[in-house]
Amino acid sequence: MSTPAIALRNVVRTYPGEPPIAALDRVDLRIDQGEILAIVGPSGSGKSTLLNVMGTLDRPSSGDVLIDGINTRDLSERKLCALRARKLGFVFQSFHLLESARVIDNVANGLIYQGIDRRTRNTRALRALELVGLADRAATKPPKLSGGQRQRVAIARAIVSEPSLILADEPTGNLDSKTSADVLELLHQLNRNQGATIAVITHDLEVASQMQRRVSVRDGRIEPTTSETAA
Amino acid sequence: MATSNPPDASALGRSRLRLADRLRTGLGGLWSRPARTLLTALGIAIGIASMVTVVGISSSSKADLLAELDELGTNLLQIKPGQSLFGDEAKLPTSASTMLGAVATVLDTAGVTTINTDVQRTTHDDSPNGLSVLTSDGDLDRTLQLNIASGRSIDAGNQALPVAVLGAVAAERLAITNTSGGPTVAIAGRKVQVIGILEAHPLHPDIDRSVVIGHSYATTVLGIDAAHTAIYVRVRPSAIEQTRPLLARTANPTSPTEVQVSRPSDALEAQTKVDQNLQNLLLALGGVALLVGGVGIANIMVISVMERRTEIGLRRALGARKGHIRSQFIIEAAALATLGGALGIGSGVAATTLYANSQDWTVSIPGQALAGGIIAALIIGATAGLYPAAKAARLDPADAVRPQS
Ligand SMILES: Nc1ncnc2c1ncn2[C@@H]1O[C@H](COP(=O)(O)OP(=O)(O)O)[C@@H](O)[C@H]1O
Ligand SMILES: [Mg+2]
Repeated sequence: MSTPAIALRNVVRTYPGEPPIAALDRVDLRIDQGEILAIVGPSGSGKSTLLNVMGTLDRPSSGDVLIDGINTRDLSERKLCALRARKLGFVFQSFHLLESARVIDNVANGLIYQGIDRRTRNTRALRALELVGLADRAATKPPKLSGGQRQRVAIARAIVSEPSLILADEPTGNLDSKTSADVLELLHQLNRNQGATIAVITHDLEVASQMQRRVSVRDGRIEPTTSETAA
Repeated sequence: MATSNPPDASALGRSRLRLADRLRTGLGGLWSRPARTLLTALGIAIGIASMVTVVGISSSSKADLLAELDELGTNLLQIKPGQSLFGDEAKLPTSASTMLGAVATVLDTAGVTTINTDVQRTTHDDSPNGLSVLTSDGDLDRTLQLNIASGRSIDAGNQALPVAVLGAVAAERLAITNTSGGPTVAIAGRKVQVIGILEAHPLHPDIDRSVVIGHSYATTVLGIDAAHTAIYVRVRPSAIEQTRPLLARTANPTSPTEVQVSRPSDALEAQTKVDQNLQNLLLALGGVALLVGGVGIANIMVISVMERRTEIGLRRALGARKGHIRSQFIIEAAALATLGGALGIGSGVAATTLYANSQDWTVSIPGQALAGGIIAALIIGATAGLYPAAKAARLDPADAVRPQS
């Protein structure tokens, strides 16, 4: 049996309050290497909290998160940073590009906290840009790009370190439907051709319907019924 | 892909940011907002500029003063008649110069007498030219350390003859550039031959504007009173303090109170003391400007950290440690202040140069002032960056990556 890219066991995340909010409630989830799936659910259901916990940006209140078989509970803050630098890639709804940095530098920043030298970073960034079809815009700065292009740059930044898992939080939330379809197609391509493991968080059922595997979140709980539904 | 290896956290290595990349990320924030960067650096720039200017101007003025003091020597004393008991002009005894020369600690003496007459190019001229006529016993050059630009000087051998030596300004006003061709001037209606021209002496502008003739000639031919109107005394440098009180009594044993003894270099020294007070005041003002500049940087950096929340969250998601975020903002603040420091040094040097040129001083800015300015800016900037950097590092990454509300 191969090690899953990520496994969540009985994960709980409560936010303090009166009463405390259980943003994640006893979540079990396993994503195998090479999988692509959608995590769907209405707004406020706990999708972003789930993504942050999966991405080690947030620690669960209880339960275990294993990435590539490594239990993140045992890791120091510093080790978590190393793990994010090597094993995880993030794509955000609002792209989070550095507006004054060139496209290639934005992508290369996906490697900067591994201590990789600039030349190697740029070589790998260019390769990642080729994969998303933006190699010709390497020297451009983000303000000159369309929304779809920006998200492609962000995707290139997420894949440049060849992570074990790519987490995308509403990646098409700021895009029109045509561009959304293109970006989703790109994610599928990367999954098929590069073997990238990708979890796409979305509240858009249209987006979710294109995924082989769907996981539904409601009130912080995974609903087993809708998983493994064919499109 | 199947992995048979047991999961190993140590294989993760560590999150690490190269030094060059630390600097690059720290400076990146400045390039992206050039106008704000310049405005924020302004406070430090003004502080450093004022300090460099103060130090530079004071040092430039002092450089010249010290050179002048050196040239003049602090061991030159001037003896002049004061006022008599009844309030009229006193006179020095004719023997005063000789008596002063006999004091053991006196190296040189030179008596001069200012003659109340004008000097012209020819006997027909009578246009005022502001020049005066002095007499010399022949010891004037040595005692005042005057140099001859052309020809020779009044000495014991020629001081009874109708010859004259021109101060630098006098020569210019009389349009005599050298002594070849035997130029003459008219003094008290008599033709006198110019045998020499003196170099300008920065500390004796009165000599520059004078025509010097022999003391014997003046007393015997022109009928001038033999009493000196001033006597210069060069004292052995180690004996100034004990010699000075003796001089009045030596010059005029019967009425020592009618003698004034002064030291020309004292006036210059007093000037440097005034400078010192002003300098301290201005330095304090510069310090306040630096402090305000530092607070300004801290302020803007706090705003910048809040604006760049998502950048910080993104960097944490890319694997940045808290320390990487902290160093990014400390470097940014330090660079901001150093930029201000460099601008300040540039304008401080420019201001000093302008002012020094207007005063005909040689520009002198101590290297320590420049190095100190940059280092001070760097330290102020890094300190100002501490709080905003800590704030940035403390941001919760999960919070920071959420779309800003
Ligand atoms: N930092 C927080 N503090 C308190 N409550 C939070 C915080 N973040 C999210 N929540 C709450 O947790 C629940 C899940 O939020 P979220 O994960 O953002 O949902 P989704 O991404 O599906 O819209 C919501 O009720 C939200 O109000
Ligand atoms: Mg969300």
